[in-house]
Amino acid sequence: MPSGSRCPDCGSSELVEDSHYSQSQLVCSDCGCVVTEGTLTTTFNDEGNLREVTYSRSTGENEQVSRSQQRDLRRVRDLCRILKLPTTFEDTAISYYQRAYQLSGIRAARLQKKEVLVGCCVLITCRQHNWPLTMGAICTLLYADLDVFSGTYMQLVKLLGLDVPALCLADLVKSYCSSFRLFQASPSIPAKYVEDKDKMLSRTLLLVELANETWLVTGRHPLPVITAATFLAWQSLRPSARLTCSLAQFCKLANVDLPYPAASRLQELLAVLLRMASQLAWLRVLKLDKRTVVKHIADLLQHRHMLVRMAFRDGTAEGETQKQQQGEQGQREEAEDSTFDVLERKRPASPAPLLPPCMLKPPKRSHPTPSVSAVTGDENISDSEIEQYLRTPQEVRDFQRAQAASQAAKSVPNPP
Amino acid sequence: MVGSPLMEEEEDMYLDLFLDPYTVQDAFPPAMSHLFSPRAPLDVYPLNLSNPEAVFSPHFGGVKETSSDFSSVDLSFLPDELAQDSKDQAVTGNRHETEQSRKTQDQQCQLQLPGGEDSGLSLNNGSSPGSHAHLYPGGAAFNQPSPEKSSSDSLPVASIVSMTPMNPVPECSGIVPQLQNVVSTANLACKLDLRKIALSAKNTEYNPKRFAAVIMRIREPRTTALLFSSGKVVCTGAKSEEESRLAARKYARVVQKLGFPVKFFNFKIQNMVGSCDVKFPIRLEILALTHRQFSSYEPELFPGLIYKMVRPQVVLLIFASGKVVLTGGSSERWLCDLGQRFRACISGQPAEGTLENHLSKWNYSSLSLVSTMVQRHNQQPDINPLSLERNLGKSSPYSLKAWHRGYRRTKATRTQISGFAGGTCL
Repeated sequence: MPSGSRCPDCGSSELVEDSHYSQSQLVCSDCGCVVTEGTLTTTFNDEGNLREVTYSRSTGENEQVSRSQQRDLRRVRDLCRILKLPTTFEDTAISYYQRAYQLSGIRAARLQKKEVLVGCCVLITCRQHNWPLTMGAICTLLYADLDVFSGTYMQLVKLLGLDVPALCLADLVKSYCSSFRLFQASPSIPAKYVEDKDKMLSRTLLLVELANETWLVTGRHPLPVITAATFLAWQSLRPSARLTCSLAQFCKLANVDLPYPAASRLQELLAVLLRMASQLAWLRVLKLDKRTVVKHIADLLQHRHMLVRMAFRDGTAEGETQKQQQGEQGQREEAEDSTFDVLERKRPASPAPLLPPCMLKPPKRSHPTPSVSAVTGDENISDSEIEQYLRTPQEVRDFQRAQAASQAAKSVPNPP
Repeated sequence: MVGSPLMEEEEDMYLDLFLDPYTVQDAFPPAMSHLFSPRAPLDVYPLNLSNPEAVFSPHFGGVKETSSDFSSVDLSFLPDELAQDSKDQAVTGNRHETEQSRKTQDQQCQLQLPGGEDSGLSLNNGSSPGSHAHLYPGGAAFNQPSPEKSSSDSLPVASIVSMTPMNPVPECSGIVPQLQNVVSTANLACKLDLRKIALSAKNTEYNPKRFAAVIMRIREPRTTALLFSSGKVVCTGAKSEEESRLAARKYARVVQKLGFPVKFFNFKIQNMVGSCDVKFPIRLEILALTHRQFSSYEPELFPGLIYKMVRPQVVLLIFASGKVVLTGGSSERWLCDLGQRFRACISGQPAEGTLENHLSKWNYSSLSLVSTMVQRHNQQPDINPLSLERNLGKSSPYSLKAWHRGYRRTKATRTQISGFAGGTCL
């Protein structure tokens, strides 16, 4: 029984599909009236009684929905298919687009904005289902500017009042790592560079988790951190063969774009690892640097919780308020030190604070506290002060003459 | 599950540990990887983040309220540092069992159980291996969000309880935002001839094709104004409300001297922008999780978190470095609050208004130590936003709690605190 279709005579909704010889008919079981005959109809009324035509293919939609909206809805579907999203995502994204289209601000927007809106709807759907899709990916697919995209996205979220969860980092790591073409030998990839996917994935996850803990991920774009972590994981799984390969070469081999900040993320991650290594007794002897620490990443990750706590003191205030903690840590350091006194003359440096890198850099300029100005707002304004801003009549005439002259010069084309 | 006299003891024990920051130093269980996947912790921990009142109720409501909340928590799995000595055996016994089960489960993460090795290096008593073991299920959580519920339940309790109390701070101290910009409008109540103004005044720019207003600047106070032909003026760049008013009057005087019959009506502050620095790092992702309805954190677009506070109607840009930019504040209330705070803190009580004293009062080291510990556990928002909210007068449960936490509590004062629960915060 199709919902909503009624017999035009008696109004009952008990319509039965009954065929008269070879022709299929829809007949009202109460009054016997034939509602539709066959599947090809000519009237709009008959169409209403047909069954199960998808809305997008029926004529009803085309009459209510404008052409640009139809085109964009088709684009939403295509985008979902390109990204190989499950079919439920498609419907959700379509519904978001339709809701957005009803808002006057969006309906009257430029075509460029509507194109970008397609991507925003898909992105919101993916985020809500924890499907890792970055804005950069959508922008490249849409050939859109990230600025325009971000403006439309923020506007859409605000207008529709949506609650969009954050990008799920673990899933993003998994999907991004899987896109690296390093898991199978090929003519372009030497055998020593090929790596097992699971091992690399698990190590990358640990490294990204370490980066998260040590403030390298907060406030930054997640992708460059993951690139750096993948590179380090790959290198550390076979350091002897892979230390010579640089980050740029690695990304080219793996057929993945190298994001610009990845190099500095790599340096930051290596600095963290070096600090951690300085807490392990057997590594302190080796005097590691940024290249050699890669060989020991496995050990460092194994004890990472312990080492991070030891290597970094928590806190941001320097010095005096940390006396007790420092005293304790100093004792601990001395205890460890005594066993290696022969090999190391000086004490290891006191633990660095665990802070985001932006707090560790020296401030660019000092911020002087503004002097308290006793301005009441109702003071007298002296005439002389105001007059300094006015032109005398002579000056006004000069200025007018100069303006006229420059206008004349502009209008006359320059002689070649 | 745990009887009510036992609850009292537990509660006292929590309170003591809560009040004394130095018993819970490095002994904390290490971080969990649930910072990653926001979904996992919400699955694993029944004490969900959106309902912190449940956990805080022991401090205010009395025992009865807590019993219902704690019944789901298996208190025997508390790490040793917080458990009484008598409970040690039971706890460690349980923990070793769970350790064994963890070992078998943990094939996917390349984590060999470091408990044994780490204990040699750590300062803790032998409880830490166990507590490490607790958290690897959390580490594996985003791979296997599975059956470790009961053991992990204790952790939110433990971590929340361990937050350092703040000493009572007087009303007006705290992080004082510095005003950076004040935007105001006024009405000069007469039609202006912009061409004539641009001609006769030195400090102007006028390009009618680009913008239909004259841009005028004065040196003292250093401000910029937009003068429209309707007679309306927008004055920007002042560092305080009074300066803005003075500047607007000066612009009116300039226009008056050019021969227009100006008046000065409807002076109104439209927007105020301030900045401040809380001087400790903020975990933006956790803040976004716990204050979901107010925050918008998109690291792919902007490094800061945009926090839209409802009362007062201000927008804060919060950065991981602890620097905060506040804007909005067109409402009179914010103005008054801010103005009051400025005047009182700057003029009246210099000793209490400055940031350094504020920090030292908070016994800064332990506070931030605990706050980062807390961050790792992903159970609570960083303490930092609480302080901001408190200062700006938002009445959320967090701000009340932060206020209450400032009192050093003994049993005698507990009733006093529950009395404050109904009062207004700053």
